Amino acid sequence: MGARHLRLTATLPAALIACAAAGSSLPCKASSVSAAERGSAAGDAAADALAHDIFKQLIEINTTNSVGNVTTAATAMAQRFLAAGFAPADVVIAGPEERKKNLVVRLHGAGRHKPVLLIGHLDVVEARREDWSTDPFELIEKDGYFYGRGSADMKDGDAIMATALLRMKQEGYRPSRDIVLALTADEEGGCCNGPQWLLSHRRDLIDAEFVLNHDGASVISEHGVPQIFRLAATQKIYADYQLTVTNAGGHSSLPRPDNAIYQLAAGLLRVGHYQFPFELNTVTRAYFERMAAISTGDTAADMRAVARATPDPQAMARLAHEPSYGSLMRTTCVATRLDGGHANNALPQRAEAVVNCRILPGHSPEEVRGDLIRIIDDPQVAVHFIADNGEISDTAPERRGFPPPPLMPEVVKPLERVVAATWPGIPVIPVMIAGASDAVHTSAAGLPTYGVSGIAVDRDDVRMHGRDERVRVASFYTGNRFFYRYLKALTAH
Amino acid sequence: MHVRLIAAIATGVLATLGTAAAPSADRATSSDGAADRLAHDLYRELIEINTTDSVGNVSTASAALAQRFLAAGFPAADVMVLGPNERKKNLVVRLHGAGKHKPVLLIGHLDVVEARREDWSTDPFKLVEKDGYFYGRGALDMKAGDAIMATALLRMKQEGYRPSRDIVLALTADEEGGCCNGVEWLLRNHRELIDAEFVLNHDGLVGYSITSAHGVPQEFALSATEKMYADYQLTVTNKGGHSSLPRPDNAIYQLSQGLINIARYAFPVELNDVTRGYFERMAAARGGQTAADMRAITRTPPDAAAVDRLSREPELNSLMRTTCVATRLAGGHANNALPQRAQAMVNCRIVPGHSKEEVRQELMRVLNDPDITVHYVADDGAVTDRAPEQRALPPSPLLPQVVKPLESTVAAVWPGLPVVPFMNASATDGIYTRGAGLPTYGVAGIAVDADDMHAHGRDERVRVAAFYAGNQFFYRYLRAVTAH
Repeated sequence: MGARHLRLTATLPAALIACAAAGSSLPCKASSVSAAERGSAAGDAAADALAHDIFKQLIEINTTNSVGNVTTAATAMAQRFLAAGFAPADVVIAGPEERKKNLVVRLHGAGRHKPVLLIGHLDVVEARREDWSTDPFELIEKDGYFYGRGSADMKDGDAIMATALLRMKQEGYRPSRDIVLALTADEEGGCCNGPQWLLSHRRDLIDAEFVLNHDGASVISEHGVPQIFRLAATQKIYADYQLTVTNAGGHSSLPRPDNAIYQLAAGLLRVGHYQFPFELNTVTRAYFERMAAISTGDTAADMRAVARATPDPQAMARLAHEPSYGSLMRTTCVATRLDGGHANNALPQRAEAVVNCRILPGHSPEEVRGDLIRIIDDPQVAVHFIADNGEISDTAPERRGFPPPPLMPEVVKPLERVVAATWPGIPVIPVMIAGASDAVHTSAAGLPTYGVSGIAVDRDDVRMHGRDERVRVASFYTGNRFFYRYLKALTAH
Repeated sequence: MHVRLIAAIATGVLATLGTAAAPSADRATSSDGAADRLAHDLYRELIEINTTDSVGNVSTASAALAQRFLAAGFPAADVMVLGPNERKKNLVVRLHGAGKHKPVLLIGHLDVVEARREDWSTDPFKLVEKDGYFYGRGALDMKAGDAIMATALLRMKQEGYRPSRDIVLALTADEEGGCCNGVEWLLRNHRELIDAEFVLNHDGLVGYSITSAHGVPQEFALSATEKMYADYQLTVTNKGGHSSLPRPDNAIYQLSQGLINIARYAFPVELNDVTRGYFERMAAARGGQTAADMRAITRTPPDAAAVDRLSREPELNSLMRTTCVATRLAGGHANNALPQRAQAMVNCRIVPGHSKEEVRQELMRVLNDPDITVHYVADDGAVTDRAPEQRALPPSPLLPQVVKPLESTVAAVWPGLPVVPFMNASATDGIYTRGAGLPTYGVAGIAVDADDMHAHGRDERVRVAAFYAGNQFFYRYLRAVTAH
């Protein structure tokens, strides 16, 4: 463990070491982080050891939807909190399904504001031993990485959040507001036993002014060198639609003027040519403004031009060539699957496509279904909604994604300070993510939700859900220290 | 049954009895009745023997008919049951003639398309007579024809009729499914048994020669050529990616654009002797704009407006040009992933004179997108980069020894019904006999309503009256063909 700690400090950014080495009583030269937001060197080392233990324990409990058990992981964590002196009333295991219970822990604060809620999911994607180089249910440290199912998504974050609360308890830290940690089920698969269930059945347990979601890596690095810190401040809604055309069919030697495949193809081309209206919100506007500041040349100019009150259409068009920019400006819909016909020598009686949409906040899946019907402009192309469980219905949900409120200063200001202290010089950029995290549920419940973690991932090394999932050892420990500091900064006043 | 039957036969048949065009008809009335009973018996026997590719047995049907020929006095040497597959043997029967010409070969397939009891209103392997129709699998395609051809030979034998040339009947396997045990095998391995000056094929697509409307015959189609069948596979691949970040290029959209190009494209109008003759004679039979349009497209160059109007009728369109149509689609692998592959099947029916490879090249030109690959799909499903270069054979010449007796017999049986040369848009065993150099004509005589084609489908059926009229017609035609 000592050896790991040494290696770790060697790879930590210089600024953090400078602060840590300076001791708790001296101001840190490299940043404006206050003494209260810093931990002691000894405290950091102990917290790293603890985070590693919890990380290992969680990885080695299989929490897949198929054969795993989230309750076992929730119970193991509950034991740690009780052992650390948390009152049993503040360590609640709750859920409707024996195999999928959630853990909710509360660290009481001074009550100056409504609580902050931290969320993380305990369940992981399936992993087969034969697909992996290592046993996916063992934490393996190798070549500077931790390997294991959930090492990046997101038992690293679960361990880091639990460690922060345990450390604060041990230090006798009293936050300005309650800190509530919910470690939950059914984010990766299964349905409805996690945050959705807590929000509709135990809202009292997890109600908060805002939510921090540790899911996803905030720090984007290249070859291990951090570039930007992405603050996920809103998300698109995911929706699948089924397009169907039917026809009387017939013998293929006598083609009819109407043909299900051609009708579908024409409809798909209209979808392909269509662009939903350009629409920025507070998050995406801030994204382009801040990215402009760190970009150069035409790209920087175009980003400024689209962020203005009267955006420049040509700048929009140029930026949209890069899909990751285009997806921030508008709802997107794209054809992802095709199926049709039943025999080579018979005219098709049915042709179908799936269109996947990512919907901007402020719009509903039913509204987009209406848009698709209008765009396709052919009453013979039926447009149905496909729910997450595969059920097909005539209409889609009317629920709109909440437009993001202005970025809350009580979230952003401490974040900028702690990021500057941890990774000097890297900008905090608000981003809108494509959806499909538990933030969808908390946002829908009216809780402003921010994706914040101190984990760094290389742009070209995203292995979440894949084989040999991994996180850099250095990144894990940096993320551990970052999160503790950020949480203290957040709850300082 | 006989009384009802006679009443149901088109009045034209009765009118022809004793006319100059019909064969020596003094004793025809009673013989006609006996022949109809015999045809019905054979028809029922054949329908009730399951001859599907999956579980049926063509040899059983061949053997049953062979028994009938032997019992009727055909020498054993003229009744051959043969083939390389135990379940799929063919029957070849010869009625000796005076040897004035090379023989005429009659072909018909004994196998039928699959049929599931639960899809049908009646048991598909029972001949059921109901509401003026015969129902059963093969009722139309083509155990009616098999029974009618067998009946003609049995009747001739019984009557001691001596045709001017040998009449050879081949009832065969593997037309609907399976491969290579039928006509193809006989041509390759026993050509001597079935060699002929020309072939009459009782199989067809449009109306088994006669298209009717509400039972009233409209025209008699003499099928003198057929289109060539070819499948092509269109494929677009793409790097794919996460569906939250759509790329400018997308396999599904590229394929869609290609398919739209195919939908908008019409192959050039190309008439041959057969289809030109078809439009000329149909023009004479019809009136108004359609007749004018039919005449207009036979001119050189064809009138574009007339082509447009006639092309809206699928049957007429199929006679004017090669057609290609998308029949199947597949693409993508997950709802939330950009498609890495999108594929379509395009089925073409190629006019005589062109090759499958030529059409593949034409598809590529029409698609106009090098990212869309066009592969050929063979009958056995094998996918290849290129298609066969072999061109479909030009139409069989309209031989007077085939056409003149046909016109006189049709005029006698259905007075006023025009005989029109026809190109079959679908594939039959005629493709093999033509390929072997034997001029082949689709001649049946069973009337089917244009809007009542149940071949290959559920509740396949034939009008009772049309079956018997077809039986009378074919016997008379075969006598007329072999009179001199």
